[in-house]
Amino acid sequence: MTPLVVSLWLLNVTLDTVGQLAFKAAAGDPRAGDGVARWKYMLARPWIWVGVASYVAEFLVWIAFLSLVDLSEGVLLGSINIVVIMIAGRLLFKEKLTPLRVTGIALVTAGVALVGLAGGG
Amino acid sequence: MSRARFYAIGFTVLVLFDTLVQLSFKYAGNHAFPPEANWAWIVRVFGHPWIYVAVIGYVGNFFTWMTLLKHAPIGPAFAVTHLEVVSVMLFSVWLFGEPLTWPRVLGATVIVAGIVCLAFAESDAHPEHDAPTEAKGALGVAAGD
Repeated sequence: MTPLVVSLWLLNVTLDTVGQLAFKAAAGDPRAGDGVARWKYMLARPWIWVGVASYVAEFLVWIAFLSLVDLSEGVLLGSINIVVIMIAGRLLFKEKLTPLRVTGIALVTAGVALVGLAGGG
Repeated sequence: MSRARFYAIGFTVLVLFDTLVQLSFKYAGNHAFPPEANWAWIVRVFGHPWIYVAVIGYVGNFFTWMTLLKHAPIGPAFAVTHLEVVSVMLFSVWLFGEPLTWPRVLGATVIVAGIVCLAFAESDAHPEHDAPTEAKGALGVAAGD
């Protein structure tokens, strides 16, 4: 992977994590209610917009990234987002990290490392 | 609708949207090549129909995702959606003639094994006697409850 590909990959992980956590903060708010009222509540608060802004930026970064690597390689490398978001969810929302989840995180990381270190095909 | 059925339908729809989006992104990126941090590149990206297919898939993905997230912890919910790596890989071989190298096959296998662990961890966290949660988002309505 070239430095540009690595930079775009890291930027994508960062934007995806910020976006996902912002959407979780918006959707998980117990005061939001149901149906149309829930959407009104979420749209009037900043978290959903932080999520949208992150997604727009990520959208462009990801297209640039994918045009430089094979799509099959790109989506496999993108799986690292699972690990980063799960650890961030643990830190911010106190979601549980059981031994099974830690095993899953280790396996996904190992798979991404395998694809990344093997380089472009 | 039961929690299991809600998850099954929701995640299937999500994987289908994800696959369509990734294929469209690759087509859009290829047509706009080479990537540049400027307006001209963005114009090239949006000057081709594929980006709009990706946008439609993205919007569908967004509403499905927000509906699922209301009850699912963020990590495992996100993990299950990443089963798309397999479908996208197969489509890439077929549509783009990409090589199915051993590191990719092995990497995908290990990643999917990791995703399966995360899925099991999720069902352990929500045993059957767990309070049933009703889906009230757009997806729940569309599925007929």
